[in-house]
Amino acid sequence: MSHCFAGVDIGSTMTKVVIMNQSVLASVIGPTGPEHRKLANRVMEEALKKAKLPFKDITYVVATGYGRINVPFADKQITEISCHARGVAYLLPEARTVIDIGGQDSKGIKLRDGRAVDFVMNDKCAAGTGRFLEVAAEELGVRLEDMGKLSLEAKKAVRISNTCTVFAAQEVVTKLSGGAALPDIIAGLHEAIATRVYGMLRRLKIEREVALTGGGAKNIGLVKALEAKLGFAVQVPPEPLLTGAIGAALLGRDIVKEAEEKGTPLSRAERRLQEAALFT
Amino acid sequence: MPEKSALKGLAEADRYYQDYGLRARELKKQGKKIIGYLCAFTPAEVITAAGFVPVRIKGDVNEPITKADTEMETIICPLVRSCFDMALKGHYEYLDGLVVPHACDSICRTYDIWKYNLKLPYAHFINMPHGTDDASLAFYQDVLNTFRTSLGKFAGKEISNQALAEAIKLHNQNRAKVKELYELRKASPPLVSGEELTKVLIAVMSLPVEESIKMLGEVIAEMKERGVSAQKQARIMVIGAQVDDIAFIKLIEDSGAWVVADDLCPGAREFLSSVDVTADPVVGLADRYLRKIKCGRTYREMKGNYEEYLEDRFGHMGRMIDDFGVDGVVLYIYKYCDPYGFEVPQIKSYIEAKGTPVLYLEDEYSMSTIGRLRTRIQAFLELLGSK
Amino acid sequence: MTEEKKPEERKKRRTATEAASRIGPMVKAMVGEVMQAKEEKKPIAYSFICCCYDEIIRAMDIVPHWVENYAGICGAKRDAQRFLERAEAENFSRSLCTYALCGLGFDAWREELGEMPPESPWGGQVKPDVMLGSGQMLCDPRNKWFQAAQHYMPDVPVYDVGLPWPSYESDYDYREVQEYYVSYIVEELKGLVKFLEKHTDRKMDWENLSELVDLTDKTWNLIWETYELRQAVPSPMGTGDAMNTMVPIVFMMGTQQAYDFFQDLNKELKEKIAKKEGEVPDEKYRLLWGGGLPAWFALSDFNYFNSKGAVFPVETTYRMIEATYNFDIDLSKISDPLEHIAWRWVKFWTYWHDRARKRPGSHPDVERLIKYIEDYKIDGIVMHEAFSCRSWHPGLIWQLNLLKKVYRDIPSLVLESDIVDISSYNEADTRARIDAFIDPLEAVKR
Ligand code: SF4
Ligand code: SF4
Repeated sequence: MSHCFAGVDIGSTMTKVVIMNQSVLASVIGPTGPEHRKLANRVMEEALKKAKLPFKDITYVVATGYGRINVPFADKQITEISCHARGVAYLLPEARTVIDIGGQDSKGIKLRDGRAVDFVMNDKCAAGTGRFLEVAAEELGVRLEDMGKLSLEAKKAVRISNTCTVFAAQEVVTKLSGGAALPDIIAGLHEAIATRVYGMLRRLKIEREVALTGGGAKNIGLVKALEAKLGFAVQVPPEPLLTGAIGAALLGRDIVKEAEEKGTPLSRAERRLQEAALFT
Repeated sequence: MPEKSALKGLAEADRYYQDYGLRARELKKQGKKIIGYLCAFTPAEVITAAGFVPVRIKGDVNEPITKADTEMETIICPLVRSCFDMALKGHYEYLDGLVVPHACDSICRTYDIWKYNLKLPYAHFINMPHGTDDASLAFYQDVLNTFRTSLGKFAGKEISNQALAEAIKLHNQNRAKVKELYELRKASPPLVSGEELTKVLIAVMSLPVEESIKMLGEVIAEMKERGVSAQKQARIMVIGAQVDDIAFIKLIEDSGAWVVADDLCPGAREFLSSVDVTADPVVGLADRYLRKIKCGRTYREMKGNYEEYLEDRFGHMGRMIDDFGVDGVVLYIYKYCDPYGFEVPQIKSYIEAKGTPVLYLEDEYSMSTIGRLRTRIQAFLELLGSK
Repeated sequence: MTEEKKPEERKKRRTATEAASRIGPMVKAMVGEVMQAKEEKKPIAYSFICCCYDEIIRAMDIVPHWVENYAGICGAKRDAQRFLERAEAENFSRSLCTYALCGLGFDAWREELGEMPPESPWGGQVKPDVMLGSGQMLCDPRNKWFQAAQHYMPDVPVYDVGLPWPSYESDYDYREVQEYYVSYIVEELKGLVKFLEKHTDRKMDWENLSELVDLTDKTWNLIWETYELRQAVPSPMGTGDAMNTMVPIVFMMGTQQAYDFFQDLNKELKEKIAKKEGEVPDEKYRLLWGGGLPAWFALSDFNYFNSKGAVFPVETTYRMIEATYNFDIDLSKISDPLEHIAWRWVKFWTYWHDRARKRPGSHPDVERLIKYIEDYKIDGIVMHEAFSCRSWHPGLIWQLNLLKKVYRDIPSLVLESDIVDISSYNEADTRARIDAFIDPLEAVKR
């Protein structure tokens, strides 16, 4: 019989669940709230409903993302680095480098034969993550989702010299009152993030093709800014937010397959979904 | 010596680790004088020979730095800032003196800040040269003699060659014990965990050398008797400057690996080389601290071609990787650390060229920043596992 | 890859003296000379300022390329970020000395391309034949930087000159140890000459060296006398200018050009004093630049101070000279030029020790501040904490605290940013802090 696998990715801003067998059966994306455990249960239940499967039909659950330890029903926790690598290898097999720009962190991963061989990560400084844009958007009174499109109207990006988010926010306001056009400023902000991300990424010695995942990949302005830095186009999966969850499900599949091939017993979490619900 | 804790071996080490300086405070009450020092480049032998108890000043990753900033710039290495903060907060009240060697800018350029704030009866700066050529060695011998005279003055009696030779012997014995302990790491799984070893070495920094030798002997016996621990998925070596807390090592071990080797201080860098017995004991001392200890703060002149140069500077790391069966290396460097910060590309490429993966982490010496490294460490272990 | 970035339009700082305004072209010519020397296959040495070897390389006709200068130029042109980022991509921490990061990023890039990076400021930084580091006291990057640079230029040999000076201690006087300091430095300098003779086709001209050593003494004294002229009220020249006139002090020592420059400056200052012509038309506050390398990308902040009637008649930064006739030995009696250099070095770094001994609880660094405060009639102190340099910047706060304890309370301001990394700088914030500092001075004055 064909197994089903679930990947649960609890990111800092979004929680994602994917259920797969040979392909994706169901997926759910919801915001991450303060109570990870409850949330993980709810989102999982929703995904199961969509896939029309009971939880017992899921052979293996892998949790990832920064909230991965708070998924009580997961059989294994795997870092988002490995999961993104696996997800990209599946979705965009030509990619050798992955850039993931999330809400609170960003990372770069080097792939060889579908596996991560090296990575870099930034979660210290908000510049270079979605957070930077979020703060600036608030300061400018623009909706975060509109930033990308707006920046396309820019004539000439305004250079933002402060990398510190707080300073940059001030700088943005000064520039705006100094008469700079809104799209130009927004384009400048995208450029600033792209510069930070590119700087971090270069520690890996970038190889083509480059895949872009995470919330940042949904911002057209940021995609363009990064491409300008790189000097070539990047690849973006159809739903960039799901990359980690898909990778998690696939890694679960790999684990089960290996255990079956070797005939070794599968070590699984004892807690099931229902019990976990009590747990909250 | 009386009034010592009744605990033995690891339990004793744990006690001294948890309550750092405990033994020094006891001894102080009995009338002993305690000399605090920074960095492994202080020749503790001289302090022991003068009849004082050497205690290495350490920071605390759990304690937010709050007092230091009014006297010391935040652009200093966070480890030094933490040490200074702890001193200002009274954790080293028992000190009678302070010795600061010329290690790095963060230490050397803050000597006056330390000295003028702590106002201890004794303070001395050991002006160790960077180079290891013959002229530097001769100069360093002079510097050590200046220190020896100065500390002798404070002790009220000259430090004789004999006293110095005795102290050297003891400190060598101490190092030999640490070496023995390291041997236990070679087993797979290791007979002593990285966390335990780190704890022991930190306790060692705070004890009179005789007591340290005894405690180490007990620890070794205990570990041998305890026997095999569980297998974990990888054997890790940590390379960095000073790690004077178990938090980081524990993080790696909690993520599913053993830390079995290091080039750290306290650690292999500090303990795996001993002082040669020489007619003039200062000659042996100078040679060990300047030439034998390999640390980024010392400038080793290039002999031969560049490959040979790298071998001279980092060869000991490569050998340790082989001897201790290391699967992966974590290069753990503090922000604002000049001696190691500049070496990262060279160390990383040297080790990677030998086929061992390296994870480079920059940290800021605090619990909250250490916690943020968890995902990177786990990802690195996953990457080692899938190789 | 698109790494080029157009340097931002830079606000040029106005200089008060005519001499200072000549510095820009002089520096440009200096960088040009190195490029030219490279073409002519003359030996080029990566060099640091304040490393005792100025006269030695001049006497051997080796062309110095001052690495800090080049990074400073990139910083001043606001075109350093791409080199800093490049260094970061090489895994160097952004917390390290940004002169070094800029230089290493540049070298890594140049070696990768096999040519100068696109639009390199003033033509670029050439690959040297040798690199001359120095150990001890004047910062770790002085020996780590070139060692790190060998990662990109493994064939370029490095020599590291040990240059210690005695620390100020309570239980002994530096005179008890000075002899062995000097003999060590002499040995190290001998080693340097040997190294240069081995790795270049140049030979030491000892007679020439002796002449240049004397010329340097003469230049030191002239500089000292010239800077002392700035005690005049109103002060004819400020620290903003001194950040230009540092060029002959630290990059041209041991050359006639440096001497001549200060003769001109000396003359110009005397003329200004005679005419009572100050740096600003109505001098209101006299400030001491009490420590810290300047933010090269924000030198116009000095103009901002000026616009508020504040001048800086004196600074500790780059005043790397003393009048040699004030030393307790007669340098001119030392016949061996290397010994001469070594004694000058040790005497320079211990110059303030004796004064400190006389005031209980004091320290040489603080004594220097006190002397300047009194001689130059100072109303307040400004310092700059550059985050990336742990040589000049640790101890600034402590010095201010100690000054208050052993001397008197004097208004002070510590600015924070960097020498090269503009991302650490916030103009609005800096100027707001300057405003908040200057206003209360009014009250103190009255
Ligand atoms: S960690 Fe680095 S900067 Fe800090 S004390 Fe040690 S060598 Fe110095
Ligand atoms: S003195 Fe400071 S700025 Fe100069 S090279 Fe050293 S660390 Fe860098």
